[in-house]
Order: sequence, then C-alpha cells, then structure tokens
Amino acid sequence: MSKKIGFFICHCGINIASTVDIKELMDYAKTLDGVVVSQDYKYMCSDVGANLIKDSIKKHKLDGVVIACCSPRMHEHTFRGVVEAGGINAFNLEIANIREQCSWAHKDKYLATEKAKALVRGAIAKAKLLESLETSKIDVTPEALVIGGGIAGIQVALDLAEEGHKVYLVEKSPSIGGRMAQLDKTFPTLDCSSCILTPKMMEVANHSNIELLSYSEVIGIDGSIGNYIVKVKKKARFVNMDKCTGCGDCMVACRLKDRIPSEFNEGMGMRSAIYMPFPQAVPLKCTIDAQNCLMLTRGKCGTEPLCVEACEADAIDFKQKDEEVEINVGAIVLATGYDLLDPTSLYEYGYARSDDVITSLEMERLISSSGPTGGEIIRPSNGEKPKSITYILCIGSRDETECPWCCRIGCMSALKHVYLLKEKLGDDVEINVCYTDIRSFGKGYEEFYRKIRGMRTNFFRGRPSEVRNAGDHLTIDIFDTTTNTL
Amino acid sequence: MKKYVLYPGCVMPTEQYAYEMSIREVLPLLNIKLVDLEGFSCCGEPIKSVNQMLSLALSARNIALAEKEGLDIFAPCPMCHLALSESKRILDSELGMNEKINKFLADEGLSYTGKVDIVNTLDLLHDIVGVDKIKELVKKPLKELKVATHYGCHLIRPSEIGRPDDSENPQKMEKILEAIGAKPLDYPEKLDCCGGLLTANLPDSALTKTGQKLQKVQEQGFDAFIDICPWCHRQYDSKQTKAGEIVAAKLEVPVFYLTQLLGISFGISKDKLGLDLNLSPVDKLNLGGK
Repeated sequence: MSKKIGFFICHCGINIASTVDIKELMDYAKTLDGVVVSQDYKYMCSDVGANLIKDSIKKHKLDGVVIACCSPRMHEHTFRGVVEAGGINAFNLEIANIREQCSWAHKDKYLATEKAKALVRGAIAKAKLLESLETSKIDVTPEALVIGGGIAGIQVALDLAEEGHKVYLVEKSPSIGGRMAQLDKTFPTLDCSSCILTPKMMEVANHSNIELLSYSEVIGIDGSIGNYIVKVKKKARFVNMDKCTGCGDCMVACRLKDRIPSEFNEGMGMRSAIYMPFPQAVPLKCTIDAQNCLMLTRGKCGTEPLCVEACEADAIDFKQKDEEVEINVGAIVLATGYDLLDPTSLYEYGYARSDDVITSLEMERLISSSGPTGGEIIRPSNGEKPKSITYILCIGSRDETECPWCCRIGCMSALKHVYLLKEKLGDDVEINVCYTDIRSFGKGYEEFYRKIRGMRTNFFRGRPSEVRNAGDHLTIDIFDTTTNTL
Repeated sequence: MKKYVLYPGCVMPTEQYAYEMSIREVLPLLNIKLVDLEGFSCCGEPIKSVNQMLSLALSARNIALAEKEGLDIFAPCPMCHLALSESKRILDSELGMNEKINKFLADEGLSYTGKVDIVNTLDLLHDIVGVDKIKELVKKPLKELKVATHYGCHLIRPSEIGRPDDSENPQKMEKILEAIGAKPLDYPEKLDCCGGLLTANLPDSALTKTGQKLQKVQEQGFDAFIDICPWCHRQYDSKQTKAGEIVAAKLEVPVFYLTQLLGISFGISKDKLGLDLNLSPVDKLNLGGK
C-alpha cells in the first residue's frame, strides 16, 4: 500500500525564502507520487506551525511527513514530537535540509530552487520507505573518565566524585597540578595559587571515589556513547609506588643531579634523572626519567646506581615495564589544558638569540617563591638584577602567521606580573608593557588594569619590530600607535 | 648544464657592472649557462604604485619572452625578481587576470602560461647549485674573513608570496660564505634597511640609514660587508664616503657582491670580477693577489 505523505516547507523568516522559491517548491512537491498535501508557513517550528502539521496529519490521514527546513541537528527532535502528537509514529518523519545545505550556501535563486527540489524529491522517496520504530533505553556506565590532571580536571573529578560517581583521573606527567602548580599568584585577586590548588590535589589523592592514574596516557577509546572502553598506558616509573615514601634521598644522590632542565621550572632550574616535579607533588612518589637516566639509557651508572644505594625503602626497580589497563566509563571529560607557543619561530623577538628573552611562564617561575631562584628576579644571562623589564604581549597570537586568535590570558597575566615585580623590585626598575589592546574583560579585571596603570609603568600600544642584543643589554624598537612615535 | 635566460634589469647594466661581470664569470663554472635575450623591458616594479595593471603587463611580457625560449628566468636584481615573482603569483592565482593580460600580449604574438620559474642569485646558488658544488670549486678559501651579510628587503619580503630566504632569519648567504671559507657572523643590524628607496624623496635620510648600518658593522670589527642587490650595493659601496659624511664617521668598510667574493675564492682574477669598480676600500684586504 502506498503511503500518504504530507509535505511542509518552512520559510525560516527570509533564511530560506529569500533564496529558494517557496511557491515553486510547494507546487513541485504536489506533483510527486504519494504527496497528498503541500503546505508552507513562515516559522514551522513555532506553535502555529506545529499545529498546522498536527491538523494536517489528522485531516489527510497522513502516514508520513516530510519537512523542508533547517538541519535535522536543529529541529528533528522538535518535529518528531510534533508528528508523534499528530498521532503517527515519530520515525515516519524525514527532513530535507534546505537551509544549511541549500539556501545559506547559495546565492542564485533559480539554481538554489532546483537543488531544493532535488533534496525534497530524495526526502519524499525516503519517507515512503520509512518504517515505524520503537525507542528503547540502554543503561550507561556510571563511571567517568577525566583526561588531564590540571585544575580543571581536578575540579571536574572532585565534583563528579562528590555526586557519587567513580572517577578515573588520567594525567600524563608524574604529578597532577598542571599549569596552576607553576603559578605564583592568580589574577585579579592575587590569591596564592598553591593555596587554592594543593588542598584540592590532596583531596583527589584521598577521595574514595577517585582513582588517580598519574604518569599515564589514554591510548585508545572504543565503544559508544554512555559505554566506552578506554585503554590507558601506565608508563613505567621504575619506582615501586607502594614502597616509595617520597623522601627524596634518591634525587639528592643521583649522578645527574642538577644536570637536567626541570619541566616544572620551564627549564629555568635543574633536576635529577630520578625526580619529583615539585615538592608538593601528588602522588608524592619519585619517577625515573627514562630518556636521561644513565642506567636506563646505557645500562650502566658508575659501579652501582647511587639512587638504589640511597633508597632505604628499596623502591627502585629498573625492570619495571609499561602496563596497559582497560577501564569502562560512561562519560569522558577532556581537560587537557594548554601549551605555550614556542617563540623560537618568531625570530625577530630574539628568544632564540638571547637568554634574557623569556616567556611569561618562565617569568612566573622566577617570581615564584618555589622557583629556581626562590623568588629573586634575575637576568638569566648573568644572574644580575635587571634595570628594565619589557613585556611584549600577543606573541604569536592575534597574528595571522601563527595563531589568529586572542589567548585571553596574556594581558591579565602580564598585568599581574607588573604588580608582583613592582612589589619585589620597587620603582627603581623600569617596567614597560607593549600591548595590542589590553583585554581586561572579566570580573574585577578592568579595576585591576586601572590599578596597574597608576603604578609608574610605561604602556606602549604596538608590537616591537625587533629585539636586539646590544652589548650586555637588549634594545627594542617600538612604534606607539597611540602617539605615532617611534 | 642548466640554462637560464638572464634578465638584467636596469641598474646592473647601466651602472652596477661589477655585479654582472662577476655573475658572468662565476655561474658558468657552476654549470649554469646564461642566455641573453633581446627585447626585455622594465620589470614593472618602479611604476607599480602608479599603475598596477601596467606593471603587471610589463612583468608578464618579460616572462612571456622567456617562455617563448622555453627557459627559466634568472633575475639577479632582487627588485626585478620580486616584480616578476609577484606578477607571476597574481597571474597564476587571480581569476581572469591571465586572459586580460594575454590580450595585451597578443599584439606582439606573445602569451603567458606560467610555465617558467623565476630565480635570483641567492636561490640559484644555494638551492639549485648547492653549497657542496660551490665548495668543490674553491681554490683560495677566504681564511677566517669575518663578514657581515646584507640581504636587502626585496629578497626576503613579503614572505607571503614566497621569497628566496626567510624574512626574519635569512641564512643562505651565510651558508654560501661558509662554503668558501669565510666566517659570517650574526649582528643586530643585519636586517636594517640600506635606505636606497628613500633616495628620490629624502636623500639625506637615505644616506643616514646607509651610514648608520656601516658604522655599526665597522664598530663590530667586520672585515667585509657582503650584499647581493645592486640597489643596496649602490648605497653601501658607491655612496659610502658620502654616507660617512652624513653620519660624521670615517667609514672604511670593504663592500663586495656575494658573486665577487665567490669569484675570488674560485681563483678568478680581480679585473674579471670588476673589483676595480668597487668604490669602497676593497683593496685593503689584498684578496685575489695582484
């Protein structure tokens, strides 16, 4: 038995009607086999439009409905409800997307109408073959996976755990904490970053609903929405987690002590081959860096590895292997955070040429009391106190050759630094800020900016063309676009 | 042996003879044959700001002449190289431009199809010949000659259209100079402008730029200053004394074309390389013997 199809076309204001000839499409649909009624309305998704469809289903005893309108992603759900309310099975609905895939994409009215006809013809042919379906419910796994152990991942894990869900928190580095652990203060309130973060890290470590998979990486995800099977690689730490007490004796003993640039200190300080990223690490266990450890790279470390000798808990195990575990979760939260752009590629700013050109995160480590200098501000090239510090904002961002977008944290982070540097160095150190526009958009940000503006700081609107070595100092040429002066 | 049509431009054949002389001596040794062609016109760059279509048509005409020979173009002048490359890019990418220009070329029985490549001295030496080949020919290595390089603007900018070297950190001249035994060193003013393009409107400012850069080069103890553009060379070499007067400094910086220095290291005699045409004190280095 042939189905009775009702055809409905939405003008979507002028979104569809200005490019597709509605009248012609309506008349065309009427000529197609199976179509018993063809109607239009300005906004089919409105209450009036919905009633029009419902009434038509009853009046014409329709058993299939085709709506030419926006993408099914937008309103398929809405219209299924309408069709159901009209008295037929919701799955007898077919949508012809003549907005996103036709009217929005084209300018020529004739050609767009012809394309709309083809889309409608296909949808009607399909509608005749549709069968009624029943919906059913499937249980989802109540466990969740959070990828990334920075402040975002930590907070998500804690919130989910508090609601009673079991949470797996996967972090690729030896400790959770992420970028926030590297920060000294937060803007605009100048709170102590660690004082906010470390209690939360501790809570994660102790929460009965959270299983922390540190020094681990997700290597595969399978399954479907609500029921994922996730493969996680637990990288070998070469330290027995049950035995290690986190005393740090091994780090002091290591032959490579103070020889490897510390990731936590952004290379501004050094660590050993067996290390803990920072003293407040969670978990508070040591890890051997397989890329550098003499024992692991050459199979030999003096007559005997000094860490083994130093470890009273006998926790070091060079034979440890990577492990793979499989976990089942219903939801996955990605909280993988950000990386800084490597300014080496922007040669003109001198990062590759001078030790005294540093990133804001490197400066953060210099400012921090847990940093390599204990919070003393020095020039990396000679260890002396700087006379003048210049911030260049928007390095690589809002820049078509690197990232066209705004990073949204650079301005505030620099303003925060200005405050902290003024506090540490006083007014005898000159501070300049070269900005594009100061984007101080959040709560309390503009007030913070005003405060800094009143603090004897030079603001230049413009990006320097070049940073040059000039003997023992750097020179910077900047064209200030507010005063049109070099 | 690879063949190129030599596109001489205007400055090189009318005043900067030494560049052409050294090119004609050095390239054949590196298996590059240069073909001279009759009928070339201006590259178009000088009138680009006044009439872009005419500039484009002139470039296209020159390229079409080479196309007729079936040979790629070698344009030693970076300004010509930029004009031709930029026009090629416009003709190859802008819809309808090709047809428009070809209508103009049809009068002379020429047509532009975009088949030929346009090279400059720098990419020809570094990318096509290669530093290994250059190294093989060196007879008199320039032992430890401390040199400062100057690329000029046209050769490295604008980067969007693809230039022979990086716009912020060009290194190809350095590689070539290392191959002939010289010691190129980085210096902060490396990318500073020669001032040449200011000459017509602000002659004193132009020479100030020239003088300031040479002064810095001299202060840092360089033995020689190497350029590759006839416009820049005119500033640094031909006008060095004048530039010194403007910045109130006694400038004595030997300035060479890259190809002159290559020739010296290959054992070619000074007169063939046009060394006596250099107005800067190149003799004080006693390169190339007699």
